[in-house]
Amino acid sequence: MTIDVDILDGPLPPAGSPGDSSPADPRRCAGARVCFEGIVRALENGCDLIALDYQAYEPMARNQLRELADEVLSRHGLLGVHVRHSRGRVPVGAVSFRLVILGAHRQESLAAMDEFIDRMKKDVPIWKTPVFA
Amino acid sequence: MTVRVLLFGPEAAKAGRDHAFVELAEDRTCRGVKDALERACPVLQTALASARIAANGRFVPPEHIVGEDDEIALIGMVSGG
Repeated sequence: MTIDVDILDGPLPPAGSPGDSSPADPRRCAGARVCFEGIVRALENGCDLIALDYQAYEPMARNQLRELADEVLSRHGLLGVHVRHSRGRVPVGAVSFRLVILGAHRQESLAAMDEFIDRMKKDVPIWKTPVFA
Repeated sequence: MTVRVLLFGPEAAKAGRDHAFVELAEDRTCRGVKDALERACPVLQTALASARIAANGRFVPPEHIVGEDDEIALIGMVSGG
């Protein structure tokens, strides 16, 4: 069972690229690999965005993401939770958040995905500020 | 006791700074920190109603007593993800 959390500068590297580290499954026990990517949209309240600026209270954000991953992994009996979040400027169309969950089966993996994101959006000290055209 | 309160996101933008110093007299709880912050930065009044205090990187209840060496942060509505 693996938990991997990091906060990185700028947009996240594309999934599967050399800069992206995917969760390990050395024993090939996962029957489900669920990936969510948060992408910066072009419109915010009807206005044209060029980017989002992300700020994090990092020591707390990292700890909370790790603890949340640990809780979700235990509660849902998962094999791995991999979290990446951006800090700084992320342009429209780029990925600012990636959550990858490995589980034996689909049901718990999808449920864990929902729970993690809901709780992250409520408690983890990360903020975004729109940058308009 | 003088406490430095870290500010982030919308609260930092409203206050125009990333921290504020508040004086705690008799009430050295987190509730006291919020009250003192409201006096020091009236522009944060609305945000303070729903904001939480973190001490040393963890959310703490209003009755938590602030220690001399605690790192205190005001955490308003977050928007990650």
